[in-house]
Amino acid sequence: MAVLLGLIVSGLLLLFLGENPLTAMAMLFSSLFRDGYTFADIFVKATPLMFTALAFALAFQANLFNIGAQGQFYIGSIVAVSASLLLQDKLPGGLVLIIVAAATILAGGVWGGLIGWLKARFNANEFLVSMMSTYVALNIMNYLLRTWLLESKGEYPQTNPLDKTVWLPIIFPGTRLHSGFILALLTCIGVWILLYKLPLGFRIRAAGQGKDATAMAGINYKTLYIIAFFISGALAALGGFVEVNGAQHMLVQGFNPDVGAAGIGIAILANGNPIGIIFASILFGALKVGGTIMGQLAGIPSSITELMLGSVMVFVILGYFVREKLEENREKAKLKEAVSV
Amino acid sequence: MIGLLSRTILMGTPLLYGSLSEVYAERSGVMNTAIEGIFLMGAWAGFVAAYQTGGNLVIGLLAAMGAGVLTAVLYGWITIYLKQQQIVTGVAINILALGICSFFQRVIFGVPLTPLIVEPLQPIAIPILSNVPVIGSILFNQNILTYLLFVLVPVASFVLYKTSLGLSIRSIGENPEAGDVAGLRVDRLRFLTILFAGVMCGIGGAFYSIGYLGMFTTTIIGGRGWIAFAICFLGNWKPYGVLIGTLIFGLAEALAISMQSSGQSIFPNELFIALPYILTIVLTVARRSFNVPAELGIPYRKEG
Repeated sequence: MAVLLGLIVSGLLLLFLGENPLTAMAMLFSSLFRDGYTFADIFVKATPLMFTALAFALAFQANLFNIGAQGQFYIGSIVAVSASLLLQDKLPGGLVLIIVAAATILAGGVWGGLIGWLKARFNANEFLVSMMSTYVALNIMNYLLRTWLLESKGEYPQTNPLDKTVWLPIIFPGTRLHSGFILALLTCIGVWILLYKLPLGFRIRAAGQGKDATAMAGINYKTLYIIAFFISGALAALGGFVEVNGAQHMLVQGFNPDVGAAGIGIAILANGNPIGIIFASILFGALKVGGTIMGQLAGIPSSITELMLGSVMVFVILGYFVREKLEENREKAKLKEAVSV
Repeated sequence: MIGLLSRTILMGTPLLYGSLSEVYAERSGVMNTAIEGIFLMGAWAGFVAAYQTGGNLVIGLLAAMGAGVLTAVLYGWITIYLKQQQIVTGVAINILALGICSFFQRVIFGVPLTPLIVEPLQPIAIPILSNVPVIGSILFNQNILTYLLFVLVPVASFVLYKTSLGLSIRSIGENPEAGDVAGLRVDRLRFLTILFAGVMCGIGGAFYSIGYLGMFTTTIIGGRGWIAFAICFLGNWKPYGVLIGTLIFGLAEALAISMQSSGQSIFPNELFIALPYILTIVLTVARRSFNVPAELGIPYRKEG
């Protein structure tokens, strides 16, 4: 519902361009299904989004705000590309991929865990620190792309392309859909199990309910801050790994600049539920692919996607309000009934 | 050295507009997390209006305030009247603002072949005072928006601590129930502080586009709204506290600019660009004795 309203609003904005929003939207939908390549691209775009959305959702369950998934994603990308370039000639591809994945998890986890540690040790505001850490990560990436990681041609701020051996294998030949998507699905399910079936997840959610209660239950919430942020950072960094080794096959300056913010939107849309995140990510992926195609075909600026994302998010939040009101009314109706009986 | 300090004041100006209004909003119990988006809307609307009127900066500033207030109305409506999560709403509105700016920038100007430029605000030297050695050229050779702050900071401090309006704002941030019982309209007062933030952050944003650079890009704010947000914390929710905070950050930005332009440094440029952000983290960690408004970020729901 919220999604539909968001689309309608962004459609109406197309009128400013003198475009017919209906034909544009029709074009959007038909183009998504015009061939397997485009259709598969939806899932390619959804893949990193799942990771950054999980990163926000997991911390959010502990009532922590990790706004820095963008930076953790970049840290993951930097580590993934460096480790791949370093090892690709020396070891077999499969082994390299495993090492690279482990390295990104570690790097993202430490980067994120640091935020949790600052929160636990110094009671620093994790919202601000994680927000600022993104800009630090961005500048680290820009610096490395200008120096250590610069391509051999030295023309653009980007790395050399990765060897085919360290690419994540393609699932369907003829498309760009890579096995990172499967990894993303499994991670979503894994995080769901972690949150709802394992003691650690119970603790994370308990911390979200209020730290006094958890302290009484004998759970050290300070350690929990660090653990939650470590996992959160590792998830976002893994997003960087699948994007670099699966889709981009190199590191380019300023790539995927909105993956963090969109992740937050997805997590909100899915109400923080890891399974919901799968579907919400695919939806956002479709919006992104559709927006790009509209840009190519009709000359509609591709920034329409940000407009769509933003308005969808606002409507989702309004949707929460409507749901609350409906529930409230239902409660009231129940009360009235009880009184009249 | 004088150039550096003068630029410190210049770069601190928009941050002070943002953080001063953030102090008011947060003292009343609402975080203005749409601050980055409001800055961006102000920068964009200010630039477009100024450009379309052939460089009329007054109209540009008015447009910036208008755009800021519009964004603030949306944010305030959702967070204060509909009681939704403030950080999440802020993030959504920031993305929406980015979408609006980049989309309509394309709609209005297409893909321009030459960069679009307006003549930015010029420094006005105040007679006599600007001739005072050192201080004159640092403090009294700035533009009108900076001078305005010389008045605004004391006024803001006076209103917050010495008037009944200020007392009302502070009390609904600490104990909205008591304020409500005493006859204060909690939601309306909070909404007003957010509207005020819309005006102030609109100006703050416009300062970057038409007050200083004379152009607009979608990365023009680049997290500075969030820095203003951080300064409010670091300044302990006090008008004079944020004044000190903005001077520190202004200095960091001024240093970054002069280091970049001198170009002969052993440290990479990126380090200086990242300096204000690193500084925020360090100060957030180092600052311990916080005096957080008790009800900050919590929507007020009446019983019943």
